[in-house]
Amino acid sequence: MRKQELSTIKLPSEEEIREFQLKQRRWRKVAMIYLVLLLVSILTIGPFFFGLLSSLKDNPLEWPPKLSVNQLKPANWIAAFRLSKAGCGKGFFGEFAPGAIIPFQVTYQVPAGKEPVTPQVVVPKRVPGTAGAALLIEHYAADYSRVSEVQEVKREILADGSVRVTYAFTIHHTGDVVCDRLPMDITVPLGQQFVSATLDPNRPNERLGRVQSWNNLTAGVIPYIFYNYHRVFSENYSRTTGKNLFSSWIKNSFVLCFARVLTNLLFASMAGFALARLKFRGKNTIFLLMLFSMMIPGQVTFISNYLVLRDGVFGLSKLFGVNTLLNSYSGLIVSGLVSASSVFIMKQFFEGLPESLEEAARIDGASSYQILFRIFFPLAKPALGALTILTFQGVWNEFFWPLVVLTSPQDRFTLTIGLLSFRRMYGVAFDWGPILAGSVISALPLVVLFVVFQRYFVEGISFTGVKG
Amino acid sequence: MKKSFFAVCFGLLLMVAMFSTVSAANVQVRISGWGGSDQPIIEEMLRLYVTPAMAKEGITVLYEPIADDFQRYIVNALSANTAPDLFYMDIFWAQSLIQAGQVEPLDNYIAKSKILKKEDFIPSLLDAFSYQGKVYGIPKDFNTLALFYNKDLFDLAGVAYPDENDTWDTLAKKLEAVSKLDGVYGLALQPEFARMGAFTYAAGFKTFDQNGKSNLFHPGFKAAFEWYTGLAKTRAGVMPADLGQSWGGGAFGTEEVAACIEGAWVIGHLKDQAPNLNYGTTFLPKDPSTGKRGNLIFCVAWGMNKDSKNKQAAFKVLEQLTSPEVQQWILERGLALPSRVALADNPYFKQNNREAQANYIVFRGASEGNVVPFSFGEYGGRWMDPINEALRAVMSGEMSVEEGLREAQYRLDQEMQR
Repeated sequence: MRKQELSTIKLPSEEEIREFQLKQRRWRKVAMIYLVLLLVSILTIGPFFFGLLSSLKDNPLEWPPKLSVNQLKPANWIAAFRLSKAGCGKGFFGEFAPGAIIPFQVTYQVPAGKEPVTPQVVVPKRVPGTAGAALLIEHYAADYSRVSEVQEVKREILADGSVRVTYAFTIHHTGDVVCDRLPMDITVPLGQQFVSATLDPNRPNERLGRVQSWNNLTAGVIPYIFYNYHRVFSENYSRTTGKNLFSSWIKNSFVLCFARVLTNLLFASMAGFALARLKFRGKNTIFLLMLFSMMIPGQVTFISNYLVLRDGVFGLSKLFGVNTLLNSYSGLIVSGLVSASSVFIMKQFFEGLPESLEEAARIDGASSYQILFRIFFPLAKPALGALTILTFQGVWNEFFWPLVVLTSPQDRFTLTIGLLSFRRMYGVAFDWGPILAGSVISALPLVVLFVVFQRYFVEGISFTGVKG
Repeated sequence: MKKSFFAVCFGLLLMVAMFSTVSAANVQVRISGWGGSDQPIIEEMLRLYVTPAMAKEGITVLYEPIADDFQRYIVNALSANTAPDLFYMDIFWAQSLIQAGQVEPLDNYIAKSKILKKEDFIPSLLDAFSYQGKVYGIPKDFNTLALFYNKDLFDLAGVAYPDENDTWDTLAKKLEAVSKLDGVYGLALQPEFARMGAFTYAAGFKTFDQNGKSNLFHPGFKAAFEWYTGLAKTRAGVMPADLGQSWGGGAFGTEEVAACIEGAWVIGHLKDQAPNLNYGTTFLPKDPSTGKRGNLIFCVAWGMNKDSKNKQAAFKVLEQLTSPEVQQWILERGLALPSRVALADNPYFKQNNREAQANYIVFRGASEGNVVPFSFGEYGGRWMDPINEALRAVMSGEMSVEEGLREAQYRLDQEMQR
């Protein structure tokens, strides 16, 4: 029997074994490479993901950090929707409106042998600590609300003899003005443990567990989940112009990016074309100068650039009634019309196109402009795409130069400088939520850009390298 | 910012098309301070008080908050001649600006003014901005240090609250008693001269002696240093960093420490992060041997640009910025502590809430005991670095007090010889 079995099993030949080992080795290598790639991507995307998660939390500095976030629990979404619906009839963006009756339930647990005490419910007059938000509040819910009697609705005795009691109450709006927010505090004696509530509290453990407090019961789902994001937009507006600051900053950054991308595309391709295809005196000198300007560190020219902008480009713009280019977008655009590196990219690309194309066009009587815009421009799509993305990304992240040029008013800032002013505003109160939220928002366009156009990014990098 | 030559030429052409700004006709006064939480206050204050008052005089006020490092900005702007007419001067670095001759002395203006008088301002604040007998800045608001304590924790431990009669020794006993609670430390001890310094001044230490030197082996300095670092040996004190917190207020808000030494800035933090924290405030304890308190003053003043083209107009704006009505408004909103003496009797301070009471203690801190401005002459922050380093090293047990002080004195001497 045994013998028979053995004979049916075909032993692998030496060659097959070698091939198998080879395969094994290859797979091991592939696995290693994937693992390394995975680690690298976790390392790079990790901080962003962590920031995103923390920006949703009530306490962004929570340590050790937890992955379970109140704001990400569907039960809380439903509760926030219902409470807000009760508060003003709307579920997504809520407020505490006249006539509202907010139902609420909360459950506590007391150890065996102790008698549960009915919690005290208060709508506090809560003023935010950061001045911008503090000045914004017009009406306090505390002045227009009444809390009904707190009633015991359920009592449950657990296996270890401890008792779980659920209480219910309602909060009534008694006035005739709309309040932005409805904060709430519930106080119990020490040792009576909070278990659960209709909506999870923002601070479940104040005063050693005696107080549970909520920021806003009727926020609505969106401001509940994206509390810090909501604050970023709702708390920041300019008192001089009345504009919403954060939206202005986003808009400014986009406008600046588009302007700079357009001028860069136009001037870089024109200059690149001239340097690659036209013959004129001093061409090499200009190219050398350009290369030289790429080698000078930006810090060297900051002061002279600043002075030039301060006096309105050598004082020439004074002829047109412009005293200074500081604090203006024109100043930023003028000083970054085109960068030497983008000219370089375009020059290299145009040099790679066949000469016969240009010759054929010339025979047909096309001028240099026509050749550039009608023939070369459409062919240069990959280079232009790469240039667009690289410039956009560069301008979006630009920090130091706008910081120097734009100092006031605030609604003229770009997003990067705006974030810095955020750090000052909220950082002093160690209130990191809005800072994190602002940073995440500012990173989003680039993340989207990168995901959608990653091919061009890679191309852009290959263009900047040695070519042809 | 690399740009080729003809880019500039194109830029010029483009600019012609883009501009249509026309400068304002009447006098414009530019004022500047740091952005952040100060900014909404100033904007609101300008809107409510200053702008209407100045409109009558034909003066417009342009407010320019600076988001980044303000000190660097103002130094650069003064040298580039783009500085605003009025600007913030932090006590920490005001002297270097004044010494460099970039700030306008205000005595002549004050002498003629009906609104702004020297005696209306808290003397220690005004002194801090005086140099060689001349006033260079009008203090807008200030802060001092106070002891904030968690009433719940003291109640739970059955220990009496810290009060104004406490000396270092009695306070240490109370802190030790309250630290017997599970998971609770006594005092948040930041390893910084910005906190510990108050105690050295209580004990009679002077930043610079007659020869302009700093002697860290001064008995007062040594005693304060020993007491402060000594707390860290038991649970009576702890460095916030050991609790994963970046400052004392953070640890105080999470109830990991029973007390902390901070200024009124902690109030804003607590309002946001621990709105129900049941805290009280009292003065810093007295030195048992001298029987005195010490304190540090953190203060900001408005200074005038020496090269300003509209000094008279700027002074009119300055009068408004520090006027009694404006300071009253700032105080009532609980936003900052204004600098006028008369405000000490303000009804705001008599309110029965912890924030107003904390503000009152901090306000009074400027006139109790040995009060010293938080500034170190020409040395700036470099003066404190060796001391902060020594505090950290001694508290974490890397050095003894003697070693720490010797090391700090050595580094300080080197710094001062430079």
